Amino acid sequence: MNPFRLVIKELLYRKINSLVILLTVIVASSVSVAVYTLSKASENETRKIMREQGLNLYLFPKGTNLIDFYSVNQTETFPEHYVDVLAESKTFDAVRHLTGVLQMRYPEWRDANGSVHQIVLFGYRDEAEQKYLPRQETMGFDVKKGTVQLGALVARNVGPGEPFVITGADGRSYEFVVDKRLQEGMGMRDQGVSFHLEDLQQLLGMEGRINKIEALGCVCRDGRIKNARSQVQAIFPDLEVTEIKNIADAREHQRSMMNRYGAFIIPLVVLSALLITGLLFHQNVNARKKEIGLLIAMGRSSGAILFMILSKAYILGFAGGVAGFFAGTWIAEYFGKEIFQFTAWSIGPVWTLFYYTLFLFPLLWMVASWIPALLATRIDAAKILNSDA
Amino acid sequence: MLEISHVSKRFRRGAEVFDALTDINFVVHKGDFIAISGPSGSGKSTLLNVIGGLIRPDTGSVVYGGKSIYEQEGRFLNAYRRREVGFVFQQFHLVPFLTVAENIRLGCAQRSDVEAIGRLLGECSLEKVKDKYPSELSVGEKQRAAFIRAIISAPAILLADEPTGNLDPRNSDILMDLIAEFHRNGGTVLLVSHAPVASGHATRKLQLDLGRILTPAGDPGCPALH
Repeated sequence: MNPFRLVIKELLYRKINSLVILLTVIVASSVSVAVYTLSKASENETRKIMREQGLNLYLFPKGTNLIDFYSVNQTETFPEHYVDVLAESKTFDAVRHLTGVLQMRYPEWRDANGSVHQIVLFGYRDEAEQKYLPRQETMGFDVKKGTVQLGALVARNVGPGEPFVITGADGRSYEFVVDKRLQEGMGMRDQGVSFHLEDLQQLLGMEGRINKIEALGCVCRDGRIKNARSQVQAIFPDLEVTEIKNIADAREHQRSMMNRYGAFIIPLVVLSALLITGLLFHQNVNARKKEIGLLIAMGRSSGAILFMILSKAYILGFAGGVAGFFAGTWIAEYFGKEIFQFTAWSIGPVWTLFYYTLFLFPLLWMVASWIPALLATRIDAAKILNSDA
Repeated sequence: MLEISHVSKRFRRGAEVFDALTDINFVVHKGDFIAISGPSGSGKSTLLNVIGGLIRPDTGSVVYGGKSIYEQEGRFLNAYRRREVGFVFQQFHLVPFLTVAENIRLGCAQRSDVEAIGRLLGECSLEKVKDKYPSELSVGEKQRAAFIRAIISAPAILLADEPTGNLDPRNSDILMDLIAEFHRNGGTVLLVSHAPVASGHATRKLQLDLGRILTPAGDPGCPALH
């Protein structure tokens, strides 16, 4: 008789045992998938929130007085191609999202009514692709050429639908389409105007120059900021690295919290489910002692007995793993919409996790049933078959 | 065909020691029908299980076809149980989630054995219940199904341990006739039974008591031969 058919018929006969084992797999799989999916969503959410707050590492010319930088803007500049050199360096891997910036104070901007205001001009270069690191979603300030994004305070002085007009270093008047009016509460950007870097360089007559590189140091508490410093020093001794601590800390805290949570809850649930499964299989083997004894008496090998138990575990692990994946994804989507404001739309099936599920849960459930399966091969057929019970 | 030499088996239950078999010696010839009798605890079932390859004796040997079965690899013992020996138990031991036909199929050692299922079901009047589950059968039908399962792969030896113990006289007679038919077709039978009808079919009788064969005077070579 086909041994696989024997397994299926037993599985359907002992419905409650099979169903309870299946439920343990579904619970373990769905919790694992839900927690993992939510942790990914949390990372995206954090990334989104952090993006709103800006990048956390600044590279300045060495010796820059930061008080000057923020208030007076009389800072040294350096060549824009430094960004490309860093992006193409094999050894520079401690930071991501390299964005060249030119930031200058503009003391006398005249609005449409003729009033004069002191504003700050920001020019953003497109984020550099790091040649030797995997691609990531762009995080820098994205301003299209020919357009500007107005800080909330500046926007009050530019009428709806009107262009932003500013006089360049060459004395000419430049007009830009207003692409966005930023919300209030963005610090220095409230009183600033963001340009594409090339536009601002042309406006100020500072072609090829920047005075800051913004970047993201991914993990800041384990010393990678020190790495970033030493890596930059090794390439450009004339630059120094400054960390915006509060952003770095918030990001690190959020990420480590989700990782710690996932690292605790997933193994806890999976191990509990495996333990329950082991006990259920032990119970199953006890209930099947006579069948197994009979098979041994009829000359079935230990391998055939092992196959019978392990293939049941495989089938239930596979079916439960798949069901759990979809249940877990649904849970993550349902609760994720409540938890994550910005990235709820992006929560969906993590298909790489699905492939892991197909492989991992059958394997784990076979491991859980291994000891009961071994015990089954050691059943004393003579004793079992001659007992009256 | 089968030579049992100096077989002893001792069981331990905690501090208690129990000699189930002590220095058992006898020869089984092809075509023998041996009825084994004796009081409870005399070692009848243990002897059948030792011969059937299920209980390894502490001392002595069981030689089949010139090979001591317990000195061979596990694979040999599995093949011996699958092809050479068929078991019938008092408790039937049908697998509850398989139909009658599927239970019998479980005993097939090779694909060609499956072809005999229909014929044997007919001979044992089980054709109508072949797709039924054990819980739907009468005890007589259950034991006949277990009997077909035991002989479906045409084993050389049929080991039957109190096969009529749970049957009424009518079903006992039917089963004994089937076992006798197996014997008439050249099979060798070792049958443990208290039933007189069983002794009636036997060509030899073996009586055990306290794990020893009661040896008739003047017959040391084949002690149970009458």
